[in-house]
Amino acid sequence: MSTTVLGTRTGTRRIPSRRVSRLTDLAARWGFVTPAAILLIATLAYPIGYTLYISFAAINLGTFSPDEWVGWDNYLTVFEDDRFWDSLWVTFVYLVFALPLQMFLGFLSAFLINADWKGRGVVRAAFIIPMVIAPVIAGGIWRMLLDPLWGIANYLLGIVGLGPIEWLADPFWAMFTIILIDTWRWTPFITLIASAALLSLPRDVFEAAAIDGANWWTTLWRVAMPLLVPVIAATFVVRWLGAVKMFDIALAATHGGPGRATSVVNLFIYEEAFRSLKFAESAAMSLIVLVITMVLTAIFLRGTRMLEERN
Amino acid sequence: MTQATRISTGTSRRRLLGTALALPAVMLGRTAQGQAGGGLGTAESPISIRMLANSSYSNLWQSAMVPEFNKHFPHIKVQIDGVPYNEQLAKTMLDLTGAKPTYDFYTVDDPWVPQVAQTGHLLDLKKDAAAWTAADFDWNDFNSAPLAASEWKGGQFGVPVRSNMLLMFYNRTHFSKAGLPAPTPKLTWTEFRAQMPKLVQNLGGSGPANAWAISTYFTRDTLTPTIWQAILNAHGGELVDGNGKPIFANDVGQLALQTHIDLLQWAPPGAKAHGFTESLQAFRQGQTAVMFQWGSVFRGTAVDTGSTTLKTEEVGIQVMPVGSARAGTHRGIWNGCVSAKTPNQRAAWAFWQWLSSRQGEAFASDVVGSFPARKSTLASNPASAWLKPVFTTLQEAYEVAAAGRMWRPRSAKSDQAQQILADETARAFSGDVKVAEALDSASRKIARLRL
Amino acid sequence: MSTTAARRRPSAYRRRNAFLRQLRIWSGVATCVLFLLPIAWMVLTSLKQQRDIFTTPPTLFFTPTLETYINYLFNYDLPARMLNTVIVAGGASFISIVVGSMAGYALARIKLRGATTIGVIILLSRGVPPIALAVPMFLVARAMGLLDHHITLILAYCTFLIPYVMWLMRGFFKALPDELEEAAKIDGCSRFGAFFRIIVPISLPGLLSTLIFSIILAWEELLFALVLTNRAASTVPVVISGIAGDTVNGANWGALTAVGTMTVIPVVIFALLVQKWLIQGLADGATKG
Repeated sequence: MSTTVLGTRTGTRRIPSRRVSRLTDLAARWGFVTPAAILLIATLAYPIGYTLYISFAAINLGTFSPDEWVGWDNYLTVFEDDRFWDSLWVTFVYLVFALPLQMFLGFLSAFLINADWKGRGVVRAAFIIPMVIAPVIAGGIWRMLLDPLWGIANYLLGIVGLGPIEWLADPFWAMFTIILIDTWRWTPFITLIASAALLSLPRDVFEAAAIDGANWWTTLWRVAMPLLVPVIAATFVVRWLGAVKMFDIALAATHGGPGRATSVVNLFIYEEAFRSLKFAESAAMSLIVLVITMVLTAIFLRGTRMLEERN
Repeated sequence: MTQATRISTGTSRRRLLGTALALPAVMLGRTAQGQAGGGLGTAESPISIRMLANSSYSNLWQSAMVPEFNKHFPHIKVQIDGVPYNEQLAKTMLDLTGAKPTYDFYTVDDPWVPQVAQTGHLLDLKKDAAAWTAADFDWNDFNSAPLAASEWKGGQFGVPVRSNMLLMFYNRTHFSKAGLPAPTPKLTWTEFRAQMPKLVQNLGGSGPANAWAISTYFTRDTLTPTIWQAILNAHGGELVDGNGKPIFANDVGQLALQTHIDLLQWAPPGAKAHGFTESLQAFRQGQTAVMFQWGSVFRGTAVDTGSTTLKTEEVGIQVMPVGSARAGTHRGIWNGCVSAKTPNQRAAWAFWQWLSSRQGEAFASDVVGSFPARKSTLASNPASAWLKPVFTTLQEAYEVAAAGRMWRPRSAKSDQAQQILADETARAFSGDVKVAEALDSASRKIARLRL
Repeated sequence: MSTTAARRRPSAYRRRNAFLRQLRIWSGVATCVLFLLPIAWMVLTSLKQQRDIFTTPPTLFFTPTLETYINYLFNYDLPARMLNTVIVAGGASFISIVVGSMAGYALARIKLRGATTIGVIILLSRGVPPIALAVPMFLVARAMGLLDHHITLILAYCTFLIPYVMWLMRGFFKALPDELEEAAKIDGCSRFGAFFRIIVPISLPGLLSTLIFSIILAWEELLFALVLTNRAASTVPVVISGIAGDTVNGANWGALTAVGTMTVIPVVIFALLVQKWLIQGLADGATKG
């Protein structure tokens, strides 16, 4: 779009400067991406390369360096470990419930808290607090609230004659709890971004729709949605990439238990790396997770593009 | 607040008995200087050493212990950096294996010693540091169990500086309300099992239960297996044999794990998700009669009124119940280790030497509340009265631990084994698999580690 | 939002609209309160003595104490670490927001062969579990003598902030009307000029929200902070993790919640200050869009 505009504009200029200006323009265009690319290559190339390398090696813990090439051994070890497969399944369950829930609640609450009144700045600022709390504290507070012995949740449920619910000790409820805490923590992120998206919607579009007599549903679906698609999609992708890596909440709230009910894959990798110091195996696992994540992200990106083009 | 008062009372008391005890250390400070390993510093050129320690106590050590140390060694500046427990091993390994480590000395937890020593970068204190060891530093005075925590392949790579044992805490009020005699160290598992139903009670006399028999670790955590391991050891079983082969997937192992799981019946609601903090809080709130827990929590459980609702005379402490072989306990020693790479080996060893000497232990147990490992310290009369029953129990626990080899597998892969145990037995706790199956699976996986 | 339009409608319709508006405002407030309940519990806990924290039934009435705040403010050299956290979070978010939004702009609005691929690769780099990156990053930092320096953490945080910023801003830029650059060109702006003078002001709500998000992510990051710092550049989450993992006396929840409360305050104040610009951005966006 913008390039065609550019073409016609440069076309009106004198011929000799045209090539120069096209080159400067190309440089300018690349100038937008290059800083990010250079910074990330500089900081990430070695770590990712190293991870790839040690995933095929045995680590000598005496020197903390790879000392033997073992081929696919680490990968085979990982593939044989049922704990790894369990953790992938747990992660899948968590994602399938947590992501849509957070997206829905996030946009809904963004709509609600952005009603035009004088308190909305405070409400919006207060809404980000759950995100700021360190995961270990967030997990701990929820443990306190949900503990059957001294938690207020079961106490209140008891007053209305429900429960007691073993929030953390029952596999089903433990997963429920993890999703609950994660949703509590990250819905504000969706809300934050969605608020900005709603705020940047051009006002005149709505006024035009209102004058045309469109009801709120049509306005939302036909007018707001298409404009929001890029942001919704971006928010989803960012949240997805964040959620895949979740382990701190599980560590703080349930330690991955009971059994393996909430042992998400990143928690398992963390334990293998930092507790058992199995850095080679955890590198192999990390790369497997990377590949899975990449494939799924690619699918989401394709979906994003399709949605964007449809509008 | 409590910390501040602790420190101030400690220093004033120190001043009284200070001079007499300080003499040997001062003499040590005067002996041979200027050889390999660096000196002990002078007023003109003091030596700075840096320690990597656990953040549970690094601040307290820095504020209370270092000034005391500096009374004897004024020219050694000590900086202590704290790391959270979960990341401490990785951080220690990363630092120690570098060409120029940041740290001169480390605290290393009991199961980590083989792994850290295996790198070959720790000083063998009995051999390499012998020349800088005071003549009156009596290695044989240490109880063998805590000292063995820092032994690896014939070397002595550390000294016990903060000892801890898994013990049985009990609440006398609960036992008397239930019409039961207060436990003694002779209490057997059979007797305790018979008592537990009665300990689930309403302390007010009638109404639904508001007190339960037991709180301890049940959650998926690397420390949870230490509980049933203590039961296993009490029944004469062991986790691994001399060659590192797992030998726990048998009747004794099943009995031990089942006993641990059965405790849940008499534990407070939600106990299945309880670990260190929760089990501790339940006991401190007077909600459980018995707690299997690390001895170090005694002060915050029975003495410090800010953190506990219990009175000192209410709380009893002893070894865990007796099985078919002996009483039970489990070892958890923090060891002071010195990097073999630092030029300041001598100064670093001077710190550990002071801390693990009789006077250092007396100071530490009184002021910072950490437990000693020396027989002579444990036999002495502690400055604070509440320490007396603790000292008696510790001495007994050390002996029991030595007899039943009650510690985590001595191997560079100890933590890996513990992680597997935690993971597999957690499934038995949640009811996903039977006890036998969990143990078999853990045994298979640990066998593959070749400990 | 559509008040001007509603004014021309019959009064019954207007009353219904007013009611819906009130409903929307108050359910927004209710949602917010619901989300803040655990926070209230945190603040409450921070004012309790340790022995009052785990009681059955949970207590709402107790003698509040500020002891924990005073104690921990000085005991864990919290001010120094708070400063470190501000430096690191501020530095990393600033770099990321500049670099990341430029890249996002390129992806959204400039036809550039290969740029999309680069963008997607940048985004996919976020698939690597941070646990895998921490150790090699430590090795690099050590080799360069950069351990325990602010800049190391700032760069480490940029690795996860830039992709997020880039992608979120791409979404915002994509939603802008197509004619903006054209107008800028006619005004005689260069590409960079158009970006900084036209696009950035109009995207201020998105930029500020993304900035807040970046600050929060860097603010609470633990793993890299643990591995890459010792003391000089150590951040608040490391302290928190240390208190939570107290294996000697048991986690002190009074302290944890007190420190937690203290860490929240600066971010919330910042978010409140930023609100003004956010609304400003809205006004600009509305007139120009």
